[in-house]
Amino acid sequence: MLEWLRFILTAGFLLSGLMILITAVFGVYKFDYVLNRMHAAAMGDTLGILFCLLGLTFSSPDIWMALKLLLIIAFLWFSSPVSSHLIARLEVTINPMWQQLPPKTDRSGEGNL
Amino acid sequence: MSKRRSDWQTRPQARIRKWFHEGFLALDDEIISQISQDSEPHQSYEALLEAQEEAVETRKHERTLALDRLDQYNVLVWARTRGRKVLSALHVILALVLSIMMIFFLLETVALMPRFGDTQAPGVNEVSQRYIEKGLDETGAVNIVAGMILDYRAFDTLGEATVLFLAACAVLILLRIDRNKDGSPVEELIAAESDDRHYEPRSDRILQGSAKILTPIILLFGIYIILNGHLSPGGGFSGGAIISAGLILYLNAFGFEKSGRFFTNKTFVMVSFFSLSFYGIAKTYSFYFGANGLDSGIPLGTPGAIISAGLIMPLNIAVGLVVACTMYIFYALFRKGGL
Repeated sequence: MLEWLRFILTAGFLLSGLMILITAVFGVYKFDYVLNRMHAAAMGDTLGILFCLLGLTFSSPDIWMALKLLLIIAFLWFSSPVSSHLIARLEVTINPMWQQLPPKTDRSGEGNL
Repeated sequence: MSKRRSDWQTRPQARIRKWFHEGFLALDDEIISQISQDSEPHQSYEALLEAQEEAVETRKHERTLALDRLDQYNVLVWARTRGRKVLSALHVILALVLSIMMIFFLLETVALMPRFGDTQAPGVNEVSQRYIEKGLDETGAVNIVAGMILDYRAFDTLGEATVLFLAACAVLILLRIDRNKDGSPVEELIAAESDDRHYEPRSDRILQGSAKILTPIILLFGIYIILNGHLSPGGGFSGGAIISAGLILYLNAFGFEKSGRFFTNKTFVMVSFFSLSFYGIAKTYSFYFGANGLDSGIPLGTPGAIISAGLIMPLNIAVGLVVACTMYIFYALFRKGGL
């Protein structure tokens, strides 16, 4: 019974995490503007990886491996939002037209990073 | 200069010139002074004869020079037309001969080798068997890969670290923006620094706050990987890459002024040089005095302890230092052109 519970938790978390990662990949290639793409990539980096690693944590054989995975989650949740913030800040710094750009019209690549 | 004529107006030359130009171009003061300077002093008849002979000699000399030049030109033309054909034919013949010899040698070597997939081939069995069976005894490293790359094939690893160092030196030569001799920055450097300041997120509080927490953790993790390289997966290359990532994060958060307090060009050169020379000297010693069961005097320790495996841990440290310095200086050079 406990094994089944572990398996179900692991599978559910891994599947939802993979779904979010697939959505993030589609978003990165679908969107045109850098801020939208950054949003998609950051979502995959935080939520998708959180779900995947939680699933692996439930299936880990001993407590130390689970703790290591939790540490990896903490590290990624530290680093990934900061890098997304830096990308957004760089875009705002070097692109003076960033507020005027409608999200889906500019397909020429001009103004995008 | 002592013979400069002051009576230029009385000379026939000047007078004729003045008569010629009269009416539409009068002699102004500059032309007058030029004429007065150009005017030659009186010469004797012998001097004139000498000058004439000299002129004849110079003309002969010029004629021979011209003939020489014509010869050179003909040679050049020959080299560009027919000589090129001869040379290319020679090239083709030499290349053909070399290729055929190479093919012959390679085919002979292949014929001497065991068949592909042969389970009795020594390359398949003996080398890996020896590594697996005797690696722990001979190197003292629990991690067999570390024992291989830092003990059996240590000079290969030295070559890799040297390649990294040389690449960093080449990038340094190409991209470094030097200062003036008195230490003041050149215009390029000022432009690069202002450009860098424009794009640099240095005053970013979020990045600084996270870097303050993350940088020590990253550096500690890199040091752990380097020091534990003979016990667990990892080693000098991966640990050095992690350390350099931590340094780059620190540089991004706090800028070149703060990172320049502990990492300069001199640091890079000294650390790389001493690491590589220590590596070479230590490994030369152990190859000359410790190969094939000779007693090198380096204790192997108990396998699994942190201080064990003889030279592998110091060599890991040397490789890690070189890798960390190289990656950090790559980043700094591509970003600003200096440290």
